[in-house]
Amino acid sequence: MTKYQLYKLIRRNDELKDERHPMFDRNRFMKFLAIFMWLYEAAILVFMGVLLPSGFRGMYNGVSAFHVLDGFVLYLLMCDFWMRFFFQETPAQKGRPYALLPIRRSFLMHIYLSKTALNWGNLFWFFFLVPFGLIAIVPLLGWWAFILWLAGWWLLIVFDAYLYLYARTLVSKSIFWLLLPLAIHVGLLFLMLWPKENILDIPLTELMYQYTVGNPLVFLATLLIIALAYWACYRQQMRMVYNEVAQKEEVEMKNTSQMVFLNRYGALGEYLKLEMKMRLRNKTVRTSFLMLLAIMLFFCTVSYFSDAYSGAFMKSFICLYNYVVLGMTMLISIMCHEGNYIDGLMSRRESILKLLYAKFYFNSAILLLPFLLLLPLMISGKMSVWMNLGYMFFTAGVLYPICFQMAVYNKETLPLNTKVTGKQGNWMQQVVSMVMLFLPIGIEKIATLLLGDPWGFILLILLGFIGLALHKYWLLNIYQRFMQRRYVNMEGFRASRGS
Amino acid sequence: MEIQIDNLKKCFGEKVAVNIDHFQVHSGEMLGLVGNNGAGKSTLFRLMLDLIKADTGRVLMGDVNVAETENWKDWTGAYIDDSFLIDYLTPDEYLQFVARISGYSEEDMNNFLADYEKFMAGEVCGQKKLIRNLSAGNKQKLGIVAAMMLHPKVLILDEPFNFLDPSSQSAIKHLLTRYNQDTGATILVSSHNLQHTVEICPRIALLEHGVIIRDIANHNGEAIAELENYFEV
Repeated sequence: MTKYQLYKLIRRNDELKDERHPMFDRNRFMKFLAIFMWLYEAAILVFMGVLLPSGFRGMYNGVSAFHVLDGFVLYLLMCDFWMRFFFQETPAQKGRPYALLPIRRSFLMHIYLSKTALNWGNLFWFFFLVPFGLIAIVPLLGWWAFILWLAGWWLLIVFDAYLYLYARTLVSKSIFWLLLPLAIHVGLLFLMLWPKENILDIPLTELMYQYTVGNPLVFLATLLIIALAYWACYRQQMRMVYNEVAQKEEVEMKNTSQMVFLNRYGALGEYLKLEMKMRLRNKTVRTSFLMLLAIMLFFCTVSYFSDAYSGAFMKSFICLYNYVVLGMTMLISIMCHEGNYIDGLMSRRESILKLLYAKFYFNSAILLLPFLLLLPLMISGKMSVWMNLGYMFFTAGVLYPICFQMAVYNKETLPLNTKVTGKQGNWMQQVVSMVMLFLPIGIEKIATLLLGDPWGFILLILLGFIGLALHKYWLLNIYQRFMQRRYVNMEGFRASRGS
Repeated sequence: MEIQIDNLKKCFGEKVAVNIDHFQVHSGEMLGLVGNNGAGKSTLFRLMLDLIKADTGRVLMGDVNVAETENWKDWTGAYIDDSFLIDYLTPDEYLQFVARISGYSEEDMNNFLADYEKFMAGEVCGQKKLIRNLSAGNKQKLGIVAAMMLHPKVLILDEPFNFLDPSSQSAIKHLLTRYNQDTGATILVSSHNLQHTVEICPRIALLEHGVIIRDIANHNGEAIAELENYFEV
């Protein structure tokens, strides 16, 4: 087999991996939604590409539109970098199935690293850049300059892809590596925004201009930097492949907390321990929890020290987001992690009911965390106590019952300890997420409009109390419906386990 | 506890996985289930544990239809594969979890585990390891011990000799035989190891293409010749 044939075979296998995923056929709505969103975003970019040249033209005297855009090159690259966290897998993860086959590991790595550069996704920004360049560059400098300008952008985006790859691999070792790109980007933003004169503006504009005029030295220098980034990624990924093949976390546990304070609650206490240990001991779940906590902290800090989110709607949204997000993230996919050991649970009497109770109590207790984070805002008078109590009780008593309905319908196992890329959930999960984020604000705003302040929040508290008081009934109802659908769900969990 | 299977059928697409008109396992009996790969052994066990839906028919434990209530789970212990284990717990935590959700005290659990110390060979309990970091053999041991811990009247084990070293295979044979004699529990064991199955099971069912094609009495180990002849060993 020639190297080209091998390349084609691996590419085909990657396509089959997605096409033959157990959930592929069951998730037609999400596929439709993903295509729709992609087209929507592309249309927005085209729209911006058409509109911005005229907007930029009048911004600075004597500065052409594409020079203005070139000053924003770092913003776009930063945006591109962070968006990649949602879509891009690392080659070490992809190469795992081939690790024991007679294929040179270095060849495999070169294939995947080359694919990183040649990925069509790198051209997504061209929906914006092409119309922008056609309007802003072609009339001034001609077609050749336009093509060279696009080539320059493409090279920078490829460089960004390798930077992401390097950073993402570090993050997969420890979430704290996230601080590295974060610190670099904050530093760059500081340099661009803090001084009166943006000190990066001129060099960036000059760099982009040199692409446009086709300066061979600048292209060569860029290629050299990309080659260096490629080499760094190659070295790093080769080391990672060994770790992926012999994937073993630290075998000896340093601390195995017994959580004895939960023993007094009998069987329920055991399920509570299970819920807590699931979050503490599984990388995927733990990382997601820590990231959400960081976002919550960020919102609280910014709200406390600035007036960035001082508008009425944003204040409501930030407050609600803090209360909803932790529970929502876990409960939208309720039972999906349990899919890994569903047979064991189902062979014990009413274990699912007790598990649902434990999840409800745990997620209700965890609402104290955002309350504590938002306390300084309440004390400083930037956020009302009524608003906090309203959203907190409404989350526990109304939003959780809505979210828990997913226990009846979820049937896709989620891995506990390995990264999940590109699993966006089904349409029902998306709808419930939307409901959780917007229903409370809607109810509160309407009630406030009709009854005045703070009656909107008092209504939320009352509704929350009703849900809390009735929790035994709705949990039992969910359990009974889960049991009616158990065969379908168990089959789904088994089919998607390890996929 | 008597187990009765009536008109039980399960198909996966065109393939018939299990098709049993009538079969009875008497109370206190130890039944070995043998058959080639894909014969339907694990599917039959999953049907008996209500983990998959039968197309037709029913499984009765005593007079309880397993698909209709959950009562039978109180007196049934089972281990099919590692989807029965919660892999982010340590073995001790898992056993404690199983014991406590079933209302067993710490003392009951420790007394029980003392009898299984030799089988676990000091490699399962007392380890600061998560279950996912145990070897396949130690996971198997843990699953079996957890299934037996609640003194079930019905014990169902799928391929219990898999992954075990020779001394553990010998130990599990003794443990199962003694458990059957001491408690009068009904035990169902599937295995590809004919020798082990014949040694411990007075009755052996041969399953092929989902159908029990032979029901062999094996009080003096006489089934081995018939099984070896069938499997052309």
